[in-house]
Parts: sequence; structure tokens; C-alpha cells
Amino acid sequence: MTSPGHGKGRRALDALSELARGSARPPTTAELDSGLDTLRSRMEAEQPHRRSARQSSQTSLVRWSLVGALAAMAGLVAVGLVRPRSPTPAAPPALAYRVEGGSIVEGGYLRESGRDGIKLFFAEGTEFILMPGTRSRLREVAASGARIAIEQGTASFQVTPSPAGDRRWQVDVGPFLVTVKGTVFTVSWDAATEKFELKLRHGRVTVSGPVTGGEITLRAGQRLLVDLPRGETTINEQKAEESFESPVAPAPPPASKPASTLSPAKLEPAKLESDRRWTVALAAGHLDRILDEAQRAGLKATLEKASGDDLLALADAARYRRRMDLARDALLAERRRFPDSARTLDTAFLLGRVEEASDRGLARAIEWYDEYLMRAPTGTYASEALGRKMTLTSKLEGSSRARPIAEEYLRRFPAGTYAGPARAFLRAP
Amino acid sequence: MSQSGASLRLLNEVWNAKFMTTYRPHMPVSLVVAPDPREMSDLELARALVEGKAWAIGETWHRFAPAVILLARRALGSESEAEDVAQEVFQRVFAKASTLREPDRLRSFVFSFAIRVLKTELRAKRTRGWLSFHRPETLIDLSGAPTDMESRDLLRRFYGLLDRLAPRHRLVFVLRYLESMTLEEVAAHMELSLSTVKRSLERATSKLSVWIEAAPELAGFFEDARWNR
Repeated sequence: MTSPGHGKGRRALDALSELARGSARPPTTAELDSGLDTLRSRMEAEQPHRRSARQSSQTSLVRWSLVGALAAMAGLVAVGLVRPRSPTPAAPPALAYRVEGGSIVEGGYLRESGRDGIKLFFAEGTEFILMPGTRSRLREVAASGARIAIEQGTASFQVTPSPAGDRRWQVDVGPFLVTVKGTVFTVSWDAATEKFELKLRHGRVTVSGPVTGGEITLRAGQRLLVDLPRGETTINEQKAEESFESPVAPAPPPASKPASTLSPAKLEPAKLESDRRWTVALAAGHLDRILDEAQRAGLKATLEKASGDDLLALADAARYRRRMDLARDALLAERRRFPDSARTLDTAFLLGRVEEASDRGLARAIEWYDEYLMRAPTGTYASEALGRKMTLTSKLEGSSRARPIAEEYLRRFPAGTYAGPARAFLRAP
Repeated sequence: MSQSGASLRLLNEVWNAKFMTTYRPHMPVSLVVAPDPREMSDLELARALVEGKAWAIGETWHRFAPAVILLARRALGSESEAEDVAQEVFQRVFAKASTLREPDRLRSFVFSFAIRVLKTELRAKRTRGWLSFHRPETLIDLSGAPTDMESRDLLRRFYGLLDRLAPRHRLVFVLRYLESMTLEEVAAHMELSLSTVKRSLERATSKLSVWIEAAPELAGFFEDARWNR
């Protein structure tokens, strides 16, 4: 895009437009088929209305005769002299369902009312069970099935097969689309690490989305794992004994005050360890709540007492709210207090992102990326770290110094996020 | 026996004379296959649609719905809303197919409905925003969006700004910069003059640029995105 004019705002507008353009993807074959089915149902439902509309445009005599006849019929029905015939077939009603443990708010989002997750029960027997903290949205409920989006977290599905095989259930899990008929399965999506998992217990599902290379059909007993940053897709056969956890919500957490009223300062560290409320709040987008609670509890105390997961959630919330000093402190506290934690590796990458936010921190950011790449060469953020290092090197030292990094990037991550810029560096004179 | 053999021969001759005179054992036989709708031109498809051929509905949907849905997704930032828009567009297209005067312009016909429905949807959205006591949060529902929260937040803010534009300005901006149409194409689809399109575009980009500059977290995005230019 080349919008007219110049200035920082215009250039940022170009970049944002690029982002928006790339964020919308064309519909999949399954979505198109489903859309056509819905359209046909709507058109069939409209037919009687249209026909009656045509008839009503005929002579007023006919119209009034009809009205009179209908009124007479209604009168007869009202006094019970005749029984009405079965009604004209109209559009089939949407499936009835009820929600337990939460409610549906604007936009179809499911809001958890307690801490036990949410359950959706459909009249024909299908059940959706959303684990505590799962962020989801009920996108559509029709006569032919329903569509739900899981934006973060884990959910189990027990879909009752329809006798005619005409029901379609769809689950959007992050960037993946799972299409099912009759089956039992569990899906998980972690937006932070961009990992998708599907465990199929009974039946058959198809999964489409990035990395899957078209649609993947899974059969009972298979487990699909997709690691987006690494571009890896793995399908495992499940052993019988480890086959599946029960598709029910885990045991409820120990009774305590609601998350929004908790004060970290009043909690023991052991309690904090077992309570990942900030991780849940982060997934729900409650960034300010995390920062407020940390502030109320005292930042120093929080950095010393919060669990590893909560420290990372605090760092993320601070980064997203551009409070880079707090983000840096939380990440450094995580490294100092939990040096052996698996996620501590990630802090090097995240510290790089924090340093990037300050003009004078670019060189320091490269050092953090180097450390991450050295300690986790195949880690979750390896592609991103190398890509950022390439970008920053170009900024600081010119594109000629970025070229060797671009070559390394394309060698290691030919389909990575930064493959385009890497090729551009290599093409540049 | 000989009498019956003679009768049989006679019967054969009569049969051959009457029925087998056109028998040509080496005549080539060709299999006539019904034309594949996917290989038909827009013109042929439009004629079938006007004639009320049932298969034309499915083919029209599969041929044009992907572009309409993608346009609606980009314009609205929501897959579920885009789906509703597509349903409305094609329902109108099929209901009004008999009014298609120029069958060779089926694509334009479909897109003119898409633009009208989108404009109506954007107006309704704005009206809902005015009537509501609280400004509804802009929700981004695009499964192709980056999965990191920062990018999603940027997208949410960007669509929040688009919500502030007048529907016409927003659509002109979307067609030109998100759909990469030429100014002439935008003018044709929007049924506007070229100069009106240019004015609308200038107004939309100016307003968006000013709003972005006033929001440091959005303007800062440019710094991150500079490598991509």
C-alpha cells in the first residue's frame, strides 16, 4: 500500500493496513460448504413468505377474501370446533442449549461466573466443557449444529452423531478450524506459545489451519500437536492407558475470594504457587487488573513472592501496557528466583523485546536474543529471536551486516515469519 | 425341417431389410458429458441464474463468495459478521437475479450488493454506537490474525479507528488499501465519481493518520514495522 502524503502517522497507517490485510484469510472449503447450507436453509425459509407476498399483491378482493377466510378459521380454531392442521414447514429452529457456570455476553463471548469452567448442553445431547480460564466465544447456533471459537485454553467436546448425519459442529481453535460430526475430543490452544493440541477419543475430525498443509483427518486414538513457531506438526497414536483425561473440568481450585479481590501481599508464597490467577487474567485480557493488584500488594513484595507463572503474566501485562521498567523487573526476578524453570529460558527473548522498546536498548536487545539463541537454539522463540536480531542489526549497523543473519535465518527457518524481510535483505544492493 | 429352415431364413431377410439397413458397425460413438459448471463463463452462469437453474446457485456461491467474504472480513474485522453479510448479499443476489440486465457483468452485480449490504451494516453499527450509553468494545475476530497479543491489540485499535470513519469513507479506504483496488475500480463498485472517491480517500487517510499520531502505541508500531517497508 502507498497511501498519499507522508509523516509518521501515514507510514504507521500503511503498516497497520498491511497487518489488517494479512489478518483476514479467505474462507475454507468447509466454511463455504457450511455457508451454502445455511443460505439454502434461509432461502427455503423465505419461500413461503415470498409466495404469500406475491399473492398479497393480487386483487384486494382475493386478499380480503383470504383475510376473511383466515379470520373465520382462526375463530373456529379458537372455539375448538376444528383442529388446526400441522403448521407450514418453516425454517428449522436452532438447537436449544443451556449454559452452566457462566453466561453469554455481547459478541457471543462466554463469561465464567465461577471458577469451575463453563458447560454447554445442547438439547440433542452434545456437550461442550470449557476448562477454567478458557476464553471462548459461541459464534453460531443453528438447527444444523453450532460453531464455537476457543481463543485460549482447553475444551472438551462430546458431539452426539445425528441419525441423518446432517449436523455440522465446528470449533475454531486459535488459527485452526476443527470440523466434527459425532465424536469425543479435547482441544487446547495456548496463544502465548502458539501451540495447538487435539486429542481424539472417538469418531473422526478434520483440522485445517496453518502448518497443517490442507485438511488433516484424524481418527480415534490419535493426538495432533502443532507447534506454530517451530512449524512442526506431529500426530501420535495414544496408548490405551494414557489415552485421555476425563473430559470434565479439573477439580475446582481451593475456595478463596474471587480473583479480582485477591491481594497478593496477604497470601503465602505457597498459595501463590498454586494459584495461577494472573495467567488466567492475562488470557482474559485483564491487563490493568494484574497491574493494579501488583501495585496494591507492593511491587517489591510481588517480585519476591509471586509464583513463576504470575511473574511472567505480570511481565506480559506490563509489556502490553508499555510499562517496560516493570516488565524488565518481573522478567529479571523470574530469572533470579526460578533459574531452573523451563519457562525461564523464554525470559531472555522477552527481555530482548523489552529492551527493544527503548531507543538506547537495541544493542542490549541483541545480546538477549543471542543468549536465547545460544541456550535454546530450537526453542519456541528461536525463529522470532533470530528475526529480531536481523532487524536490529540492520538498524544499528546497516543492512550489509544483517545479510549473514538473513542467510542463517533462511537456512534455519525458510518458512518463518521473517523469511520475507530476510530475502529482502539478500536482494538489497 | 427344411420348411422351417426356409421360413427362418426368410424371417432373417425381412428383419435385416426392415431394421438393419442403418446398422453401421464402425460408426464412432461419442460420450456426451454435461458441462462442468466450474468451467462455464460468468456469462453462461448468469444466464443459468436468470433462468432459475438450481445448480447455478451453488456455483455462484462457490465462485464469488470467497471474494465477498474476504472483503467483508477485511472491512469489518470480524469473521462472524462477515458471514452474516455474505448470507445477506447472496440472498439478495438470488432474489434479484431476474433483474440482471447485463449477464456478462455478474461479478459487478454481486459486488454491488456486497457494497450496499456492507454500507448498511456499517451504518447500523455506527447507529448502535450512538444509541448505546457505553461505547462497545471493538472485537477482532479474524482467525488469520497474528496470535501474539500485541499484534491483536494493534488490530483491535486499528479497527476501533475505522469504526470512527463515516461508512462511505471507510469502504473507500478498505477497497483501495486493503483490497488493493484501483481508484477506478473503487469508483465503479461504489457507484461514485472518481473525484468523490479521491476526496473520500484523502479524508479517510488524513483522519486515520492524525488519530494514529495521537496514539503513541499505534504510531510506535511504525518503528517495529520499518523493516517491512
